[in-house]
Amino acid sequence: MTAPKTCPSVMTFVILAMTVAAVALVFGTKGYTHFIIALVALTTIVGVGLNVLLGLTGQVSLGHVGFYAIGAYVAGILTIKGLSFWLAFPVAGLVAGAIGALLALPALRVTGPYLAMVTIAFAFIVQHTTIEWKDLTGGQNGLMGLVPPQIGARIFAEKELALFATLLAGVSLYLFSRLANSAWGKAMVAVRDSETAARSIGLNPVSIKTAAFAISAVFAGLAGAIFAPLMMFVAPDSFPFSQSILFLLAVIVGGAGWVLGPVVGAIVTVMLPELLSHLAEYRLLFVGALLLVVLWIAPEGIIGTLARFLRRIDPAGAKAAPDFDLAQFLSGGIARHRLEVSGIGISFGGIKAASNVSFTAEPGRITSVIGPNGAGKTTVLNMIGGFYKPDAGHINLGDSELAGAAAWRISRAGIARTYQTTQLFGEMSVLDNVLVALRQGRLGNPLRGAASEEDRRAAEALLAFAGYHGAMAAPANSLPHVDRRLIEIARALATRPQVLLLDEPAAGLMKSDKVALSALIKRIADLGVAVILVEHDMALVMGISDHIVVLDAGSVIASGLPADIRRDPRVLKAYLGSGEMKARPRPAPWSGSQDAILTCLKLSAGYGAAPVLEDISFTVKPGEMVALLGANGAGKSTAMRAVTGLLRPVDGSIIVDDERVERMPAHRIAASGVALVPEGRQVFPELSVRDNILLGAYTRKDADREAELEVLLNRFPRLRDRLSSRAGLLSGGEQQMLAIARGLMAGPRILLLDEPSLGLSPAMINELFDVLAELRDDGVTILLVDQMAVLALSVADRGYVLESGRVVRDDTAVGLSGDPALEAAYLGRAEAAQ
Amino acid sequence: MLLISAIVSGLAVGSMYGLIALGFHVTYVVSNTVNFSQGSSMMLGAVLGYTFAIKLGWPMPLAVAMALALCALFGLVVERALVRPFAERGSNAWLMATVAGGIVLDNIVLFTFGKEPRAFPSFLAQKPISLFGAGVFPLQLIIPLVGIGIAIALHLAFHYTRLGKALLAVVQNKDAARLMGINVRRAIAFSFALSTALAGLAGLLIAPLFSVHSEMGMLFGIKAFAVAILGGVTSASGVMLAGILYGLLEALITAYAGSTYTQIVAFTVVIIALAVMPNGLLGRAASKKV
Amino acid sequence: MSAASRIPQIARRLLLAATAVTVVSIPAFAQDTMKLGLVAAMSGQSAKSGEAIVRGMSIAIDEINAKGGVLGKKVELVVRDDESNPAKGVVAARELVQREGVVGLFGGLDTPVSMAIVPFANQAKVPFMGVWAAGTPITRNGAAENYVFRVSAVDVLVDKALLAYAVKKYNAKKPGMILINNSWGESNEKGLKVALEEKGMASVGIEKFQDADVDVVPQLTRLKEAGADVLFMVANVAPSSQVVKSLDRMGWDVPIVSHWGPAGGRFSELAGPSGAKVHFIQTFSFNGNPSPKAKDIFAKLQAKYPEIKTLADVTPAVGIANSYDAMHLMTLAIGKAGSTDGSKIREGFYAIDKYDGLIKSYAKPFTPANHDALSSEDYIFTYFKEGQILPLTN
Repeated sequence: MTAPKTCPSVMTFVILAMTVAAVALVFGTKGYTHFIIALVALTTIVGVGLNVLLGLTGQVSLGHVGFYAIGAYVAGILTIKGLSFWLAFPVAGLVAGAIGALLALPALRVTGPYLAMVTIAFAFIVQHTTIEWKDLTGGQNGLMGLVPPQIGARIFAEKELALFATLLAGVSLYLFSRLANSAWGKAMVAVRDSETAARSIGLNPVSIKTAAFAISAVFAGLAGAIFAPLMMFVAPDSFPFSQSILFLLAVIVGGAGWVLGPVVGAIVTVMLPELLSHLAEYRLLFVGALLLVVLWIAPEGIIGTLARFLRRIDPAGAKAAPDFDLAQFLSGGIARHRLEVSGIGISFGGIKAASNVSFTAEPGRITSVIGPNGAGKTTVLNMIGGFYKPDAGHINLGDSELAGAAAWRISRAGIARTYQTTQLFGEMSVLDNVLVALRQGRLGNPLRGAASEEDRRAAEALLAFAGYHGAMAAPANSLPHVDRRLIEIARALATRPQVLLLDEPAAGLMKSDKVALSALIKRIADLGVAVILVEHDMALVMGISDHIVVLDAGSVIASGLPADIRRDPRVLKAYLGSGEMKARPRPAPWSGSQDAILTCLKLSAGYGAAPVLEDISFTVKPGEMVALLGANGAGKSTAMRAVTGLLRPVDGSIIVDDERVERMPAHRIAASGVALVPEGRQVFPELSVRDNILLGAYTRKDADREAELEVLLNRFPRLRDRLSSRAGLLSGGEQQMLAIARGLMAGPRILLLDEPSLGLSPAMINELFDVLAELRDDGVTILLVDQMAVLALSVADRGYVLESGRVVRDDTAVGLSGDPALEAAYLGRAEAAQ
Repeated sequence: MLLISAIVSGLAVGSMYGLIALGFHVTYVVSNTVNFSQGSSMMLGAVLGYTFAIKLGWPMPLAVAMALALCALFGLVVERALVRPFAERGSNAWLMATVAGGIVLDNIVLFTFGKEPRAFPSFLAQKPISLFGAGVFPLQLIIPLVGIGIAIALHLAFHYTRLGKALLAVVQNKDAARLMGINVRRAIAFSFALSTALAGLAGLLIAPLFSVHSEMGMLFGIKAFAVAILGGVTSASGVMLAGILYGLLEALITAYAGSTYTQIVAFTVVIIALAVMPNGLLGRAASKKV
Repeated sequence: MSAASRIPQIARRLLLAATAVTVVSIPAFAQDTMKLGLVAAMSGQSAKSGEAIVRGMSIAIDEINAKGGVLGKKVELVVRDDESNPAKGVVAARELVQREGVVGLFGGLDTPVSMAIVPFANQAKVPFMGVWAAGTPITRNGAAENYVFRVSAVDVLVDKALLAYAVKKYNAKKPGMILINNSWGESNEKGLKVALEEKGMASVGIEKFQDADVDVVPQLTRLKEAGADVLFMVANVAPSSQVVKSLDRMGWDVPIVSHWGPAGGRFSELAGPSGAKVHFIQTFSFNGNPSPKAKDIFAKLQAKYPEIKTLADVTPAVGIANSYDAMHLMTLAIGKAGSTDGSKIREGFYAIDKYDGLIKSYAKPFTPANHDALSSEDYIFTYFKEGQILPLTN
């Protein structure tokens, strides 16, 4: 599903041409063909409505035949009662739209299959109401003698109705193309791609989705109003549940989200059964089978699949116009206010996640919130941002009280934020991501283009300011991590915030990117924005903060200037750990068997066309600990995925002991004794800690599980207390320990660790590397990938350095640590905190 | 009298819904997809059972086993041909594909099994026994027992067995499950086989009370879906409970308000219930972090 | 699976499907045929009715063509599936008339589908013959020029007959209704109410049920508690048997007087021995039918459709008989008209004097005031015994 990208004027021309062609066809043909054209047009109109719902807001409705029936009955009943069709027609659309808005109330509370069910239930209620409300609807036998529309003396027979339906279908397609390019359309896509992020740029998902439901219902109602005179008869059986499925099918077969999707889909789903009508009783069988064939060939819809071959992305990057005054844009001429947080607290299920947290964020200053994992930092951000409602306390921006207000209101009041895991609108272009935020939730005319020239200039300037230089037309989800961070910051700035909340913006960035990021954050503050930063990277925090607040277990334990915080003994104890981060090297250099446990020879792998790994070779010997080093995007994680079978196919060979595994699926490689502790922990959040650990031994037949579990719990005492709680409730550090324990439970011949320190507090990282050193000393064979290169090399025996998918150096850990060139390029001593 | 007969028939019909709905539950918890041709799977169970036991005269246990095995095979075909090609690339076209698959199966059965409804006699549904003054076929009492038994068995299997936990792991994180040595594709395929077999069992159980024909599953499939959702599709016991409640609701509305209102009221209750409890009776939302 | 390896596989599937479609779709380019169209439920739960209609008509067409056809042309039947959906029925009717060029249309089982086709048939001036759907307004549609004829029961007449039978046979005083919740049920609800009113009676309760209802006990219990002494039943064969099974379970032995639904299939198999208690109306039965014509037609059916072995296999007999007679009457009317022009054929129907049919000997079956060839005298009451439909003597 992709938002329409074709230039609107070309699209207008295409729609016009198709409409003219259909009109010409009506004039060139007779009775039955008119009828079929009318049915295709009506299906197109309903499809356009469904496309608003499915294509733009991503909601599935299996109940649209209900709106179609409502439109038909309203038009039928009113014309029979003597009202002119030309009045009954808009009334039918309005009634359907009003009921659509009403249905949105329950429908918006549910998602996925639950939403599907609500719409199905709606369709059945409509059907049974038409059956039982006999006085109005004629019951099962329906309404006879429907009055055809008339203009002057001209009575609308099927030819005129076909023309009318065709014109309306053309108008519908045109309106859709305008809507999709308007701020409303973009907002709908934004809500679909990330409802969370949509709220934090001031969009109210409830009103946007309700609008989508209502618009969608209006189209179905109008089509139904034409269906009634076309058929000259309506009955409950004219609107079977299967028709809902056919409508949805038309949109999916054509390509959801594409302007022309519904018309292509309507042609297929209406014409196919007609072409097969001579099959009589075998028709349904063939229709079902052929639809399956279409779905198999074009799973993204016909237009979507065609577009995949034609799609090209304009490579133009953002350029700030020299005369664009960003400071003026951001301040907007309003006086800046400070954000005062006083005494806020919240508990979940009796557990206090934050209590009595107070601090002030001054305009133009950087206020950092630090603390160990699980200290409640993100919880505090979520309360300020309006995602959690605090149980107590106040949040004031200037004079206005924001505690407990909805997220979109808080955004409009001037508080913007970014997320730990970036929340971009993935299917939208980079530029649109910023443009949609510029509106600050004010969407305006649904038929006007989303962006003025001025908006475009502002968006470009913001992207350039944030340091994004890639293609502005690229879909956001295709970009590397760093770029997504920068775009998210640009998008947050587009709402012209007084306060900017940044949640771990440096997580997963390499050194040079972090330097650029610190500079960016400083520049943002210099423009007068109050920045609140949650971050683990102490070098970054200490380097740029004006004020630091330290949280532990939900409470503020210290606050003050960086220099004071650095020396505060409580902070050292709770968070930073005792002094410098360090890891314990092996007491004596490693010597052991030279028969490798893991060998990769000339391994190449990648996603799609471009290889990420090219001809890399490395070995790990029994009992050895080897580090894979390199910048972001160098291919470290890809190598881990290739070795464990998560990434297939690969070229070259991967040998575990004497067995070649490069063609094996992941689960068999795991069974052969290769355990990966994946990046981001990836514990099973809904299972208990105990079940998580035990699943590690899934393929082992002989293991004494209870005894081994006991050994692991002795190694990870933190897990013992949490043994029966859900893994998803654990803090990041605990989850990391759990993931390692789970990996060890497999009794692996080799343990692979992918970025185990990512997102952990300094104290936690120290604890982690202590564990790794212990495991090494106990003789576990380890292959380690970690951003903390200095630490990694201090525990490892050997290392390989990757650059752009190739091994550029391999040496002993000591040898690599001493190499100044490498240090400069990848390691950066400063990252090991102060 | 009215009350007791309504309760008895509500219980039996409701557990039927519950049994088919458990099939939706099984595939949903493992793969986040459902098979919209569950109604057809139910029909397949009854049609195959009829063919083996009545037409070919096989002994009943063999006929039932064979019918269930073929239903499971159908589930494998559904997963392989109608779900996997779409779900693995993140498309939701499996929804349409399983609907289309159901249409194809219904029509194939129409032309092979025949167009006439047939009776599937069973000694369990011939002589009514008296229960608190209301006549009941023994089978009507067996169905709720089987339904509740299977719901409990599924709950225990998912939460207390190694394989069950492995299946739960699959939906939470496919890659991590692979890393545990779990064959994810096989786990999903298994869930579909189990799901269609459950529907087939429902078909076999209902057949003696009903009649066997190619469209017998249509409305059952839709109502079972309503029940699965109402119960909270993630919870086996919630699904079964919702099935029984829905069956009772239908029977009680019919008995006390009259059949005119049954469908309207029942479906309105579904909408209101979901608006009040967006995750169903006992379902749980996946833990979400902002 | 890589994208590359998928393509040939898909292409193969597509090719297979395409071949299948073309093979089945080669149209009969028979020159010089007189095309007549049938719009009926060929798939879904009413598929059996469509099959019966096609069988009855095919036998009639074989006879007609053996005698040289009509107006010198062989008759050809063009069949379309309406999926029991009125909208599909209208599309199919239009396609038959406007693209296939059929001279006359036949309708199927479903009243709403026929109702949907009626306005089109009158507007297009194409004779439309109902062979099954009994909804009263199909033929009594109020059009100035009515092109709709019928050889079938008419609900309003059936309902009078049902009431008369219930009163005469069971001395009914407090009848209840158990009706299928579709248009057929609704049409008879109206008809029965009118019939009761004419006799100064009233029903003690009207209950509806669905095709998929496994259990009708709640509805029947309501009727029982209301004190019903006879039940009027209107439903197709499978739901009718659900009513009988539910009565069995309740242990309520109440007389049932039924529309012709039970005749549509293996009622005694579905309903069990208690099925014999249901007395239902028929326009025709092969069983116990002494006429040589019936024997002749049955033999022809057996010859043409080898799967027909016993009388139990020709279900529903009324569908076969109605459509057989309807096809003959249609060709007779075309013959009388001497033209394929719709309005002339309509006049042709009125001009038919006599036709010795399967159901009866028709004398002046159609007049401008009466478009129904069958009347209440043609109804007989029957019951099922061990798979056979047997007539009841009043």
